[in-house]
Amino acid sequence: MSEALHESPDQKADPESRDAALEVRDLDFYYGEKQALKSISMDFRKQSVTAMIGPSGCGKSTLLRIFNRMYDLYPGQKATGSVMFDGANILDPALDLNTLRSRIGMVFQKPTPFPMSIYDNIAFGVRLHEKLSRHEMDARVEDVLTRVALWKEVRDRLREPASGMSGGQQQRLCIARSIATRPEVLLLDEPTSALDPISTARIEELLDELKRDFTIAIVTHNMQQAARCADQVAFFYLGTLIEMDSADRMFTNPRQKQTQDYITGRFG
Amino acid sequence: MPTDSVHTVKSYEQELDRMRAMMARMGGIVESQVAQAVAAVTEHDEEAAQAAPAQDPQVDLLERDVEALAIRLLALRSPMAGDLREIVAALKITGDLERIGDYAASIARRSQRFDLVDRQISLSGLRSMGRLVQENLRRVIDAVTQQDADRATEVWQADREVDEYYTAMFRELVTYMMEDPRNISPCTHLLFIAKNFERIGDHTTNIAERVYYAVTGDNLPAVRPRGGLSTGDDAVAR
Repeated sequence: MSEALHESPDQKADPESRDAALEVRDLDFYYGEKQALKSISMDFRKQSVTAMIGPSGCGKSTLLRIFNRMYDLYPGQKATGSVMFDGANILDPALDLNTLRSRIGMVFQKPTPFPMSIYDNIAFGVRLHEKLSRHEMDARVEDVLTRVALWKEVRDRLREPASGMSGGQQQRLCIARSIATRPEVLLLDEPTSALDPISTARIEELLDELKRDFTIAIVTHNMQQAARCADQVAFFYLGTLIEMDSADRMFTNPRQKQTQDYITGRFG
Repeated sequence: MPTDSVHTVKSYEQELDRMRAMMARMGGIVESQVAQAVAAVTEHDEEAAQAAPAQDPQVDLLERDVEALAIRLLALRSPMAGDLREIVAALKITGDLERIGDYAASIARRSQRFDLVDRQISLSGLRSMGRLVQENLRRVIDAVTQQDADRATEVWQADREVDEYYTAMFRELVTYMMEDPRNISPCTHLLFIAKNFERIGDHTTNIAERVYYAVTGDNLPAVRPRGGLSTGDDAVAR
């Protein structure tokens, strides 16, 4: 029997066993005087979904926002340590942010379509980074809308404003927009918290499809969602990474008491 | 992983407590059924022989109630980690307890179907086996109610002795039957009784395994220590 057949779930959970897309090392983050993340070290594996869970204010969204340098927009916010992405440190001030953000896409809690047509919502970002012919752009739009399972629903109204879509459709459009620039990493900050269960299920199904091509990091307050979608789960508390393991292990037999208390609803 | 914290949602904690209380009650009844079965066989206690089967409906009802509550908890609370393991273990443990109750009732009924008057047949082996099975069951029910993985491991290991008793009983009863054909009828009953005690021991071990899993999240080894020989005639005893 081959070695692979003997691989235990625990071995699969080993962060070293598959290439990491993002390697976080000794990361500290400050909002002014207040330290929001304390010495975080973790890997986000390629072609897999990593969920970050924890109570409000634990630092999980902060971590997500560091990956595309959103904190640059606010004075007084500072990150130290390193986040290695394709050989470069994301925290390096010399890094080109436009390129970084095209390679690391982000989707937010509330759908944020641009006030333009469905077509242009997708084409807008692509035009900033690539010179495509009309025909190529049409093909790109169709491709990403198909991947987020929106194509059949909107193919006849691509020129209509995106604001006319339902919330679930808008969120899928935002994901399509994020993947249109062909990023390597997709960051999702509570992407389904404003959606109904059917739209949520569609997005979760979509994540399963997308992880074949992308590295996905998702912040969620919904434990079942983390259990359903994630390959790895990281639990944060008060700015510290308490435990990270396979979703299977985290939800059946976590090692840390704090994790156990949080996921079983015994916290605080 | 044992946790001393309580749920933020009190009604969840109360439902878990209710499930634990029902399990404890079920364990108590089954324990008394086994005690009655032992008394019925070894002391010809007729009252006990009737009491054990009479408790069966109550055990069945408790099994159904625990199952209904466990399914409710799974559906409405989406339990995780230790809670999930405890609820899944409860579903299986009640199944084992129910089977133990059935075996005890069967032993008690069978004890009335033969008599050993004028027969030179010793019941001392069966008495010791019955007591050991009873003691292991008592300890495993303690392990269930106290979520005690160490005690569960002890019980799990102790079943080896039950197996040894069974193998010895088998050999002894076959010898009686060969000595005198008139022993065949009572000894066949005794053989079934010994087999049922052995089965109770196996279900007790299953419970120990479930408790260990619920508490630690790990499994005891797949193969447990077995007592007795398993060659020749003794293989038939298995």
